[in-house]
Amino acid sequence: MRIDPALVSRVASLAALELTDAERDDLAGQLTRIVEHFEALRAVPEELLAAGEPAPEMPLRADEARDGSPGALVESNAPGFAHGHFVVPRVVSRDA
Amino acid sequence: MTSEGELLDGPLSALADAVSSGATSARSLAEASLARAEKARDLYRAFLSLDAGAALRQADRVDRRVAAGERLPLAGVPLAVKDNINVAGRPSTAGSRILAGFVAPDDATCVARLVEAGAVVVGKTNCDEFGMGSSNENSAYGPARNPWDPSRVPGGSSGGSAAAVAARAVPLAIGTDTGGSVRQPAALCGLVGWKPTYGRVSRYGLIAFASSFDQAGALARTASDAARAFTVMAGADPRDATSLATPVPDAEAGVRTGVEGRRIGLLAEAESAEGGLHPAVGAIFARTADALRAAGATVTRVSVPRVSLAVPVYYLTATAEASSNLARFDGARYGARRDGDSLASMYRGTRSAGFGPEVKRRILLGTFALSSGYHDAYYGRAQKVRALLARDFAAAFRDVDAILCPTSPEPAFPLRAKTEDPLAMYLADVFTVPPSLAGLPAVTVPAGFSDESLPVGMQFIGPADSEPLLFAFARAVEEAFGAAGRRPPGAVS
Repeated sequence: MRIDPALVSRVASLAALELTDAERDDLAGQLTRIVEHFEALRAVPEELLAAGEPAPEMPLRADEARDGSPGALVESNAPGFAHGHFVVPRVVSRDA
Repeated sequence: MTSEGELLDGPLSALADAVSSGATSARSLAEASLARAEKARDLYRAFLSLDAGAALRQADRVDRRVAAGERLPLAGVPLAVKDNINVAGRPSTAGSRILAGFVAPDDATCVARLVEAGAVVVGKTNCDEFGMGSSNENSAYGPARNPWDPSRVPGGSSGGSAAAVAARAVPLAIGTDTGGSVRQPAALCGLVGWKPTYGRVSRYGLIAFASSFDQAGALARTASDAARAFTVMAGADPRDATSLATPVPDAEAGVRTGVEGRRIGLLAEAESAEGGLHPAVGAIFARTADALRAAGATVTRVSVPRVSLAVPVYYLTATAEASSNLARFDGARYGARRDGDSLASMYRGTRSAGFGPEVKRRILLGTFALSSGYHDAYYGRAQKVRALLARDFAAAFRDVDAILCPTSPEPAFPLRAKTEDPLAMYLADVFTVPPSLAGLPAVTVPAGFSDESLPVGMQFIGPADSEPLLFAFARAVEEAFGAAGRRPPGAVS
């Protein structure tokens, strides 16, 4: 299938990425070529794709609390940190 | 008395023995390795960071433990760690601008196990951004180069780890292998490299790319060295829910075992692989089969029919997982933030400035494959073919103990040869992604050289928990050809 620039823009918006017009047009061409190549998967007969043996059950670990305190590096790694919290742009405002 | 330089060039066991016997010290070896690592950084951009102070403190601890009578399997072994694996107190950029300045809060479990066994972390190695690439050219900090020929790539994504071991800066490096990122650079740099059975080595402390594929592995110069690293790194870990709790198979005993009577299957689809095989790779594949036959193995051909679909399956499922895993990089809690006037604009600005072109391409491909209207046709179908491929492997292992195929369809290629053609770069992974899709272990071993004196690696793939046998096959190839341990012209001293 052809991935046109409008579809690239929609997917970029879902992925929280901003693209320049040139990036978007280049990606449309590249992704079209990649996805068209990947359409070889359509040739696999349906009967072969029927579920095989069920996946083995995942063993569950014991539900025990662990110390999850992040340590001092969490603060120094943060772009913004104050009063024990990460600082981000205002999310809620009176006039929103 | 053996010099530190000779020890760095020799087998791990001799190096650890020399430290354990007091013939040398971990500190002397760390100093010698750091001096070489600086050269490998300057010549091949193998390292993104070196920390002499931390390495020497770690070496001094090893010397104190040895003096107190502890026997350590990796006593004083200088170790390089790919920059997407955490080492406490040291930077982890994963080759990305978005993690510039990030300092890891603790050790990855595999690093902690290696350090506990006596290894000394010399530095963090260059890699493709978040492990996404087959040439190391997707590193935000510039490409690593191949010590066999600096005009060529070392492979990727663990290209810096491969260049560091090949250049003789360190005898052991670790990397992550999602679709071949340990094995392909090991092959292109003339090294032994392995990925384990999925779950055998903990993923705790690895910066995630695609969690149902990601595994830590190691690069070394011989099968015996690689097997020792496996023994140390493998084991259950409560901090990784997917880690295996079953007993770890004995790889060091396995590597000493012969291959007489073992059944090896030559991958029937290898020669018809899309794009073909480089003539040297095809010839060495045939010679390796002859050598295994001469060593007493039974050699047949075996088909894994869906192997030709492994690249599409991998690049739809791994990118889908990446689009989810990399959602955490939003500028809120760590990494390089691009300020915005709203939370959403901060997210978009940070991610758009912080991720490089290949990472964006893969996030978009994965988001597309998962998006409404396309999910069933792409991600859903790829998952079904992934299960079918795993059944193909299971059927093949009813007839053979392991499968042999080239690791890469070609030796190291020139820098920039494929950067304009992402699909061509993906197709270079044709032999490494199949075992990753099925969660199987695989080992690459140097088996010969091309006319341009570039190393060529062969890959053994086995059923789950067959690592000891795979190392035995690798050792048989080493003994037949003597290609392992050959020194590249660009080795440092």
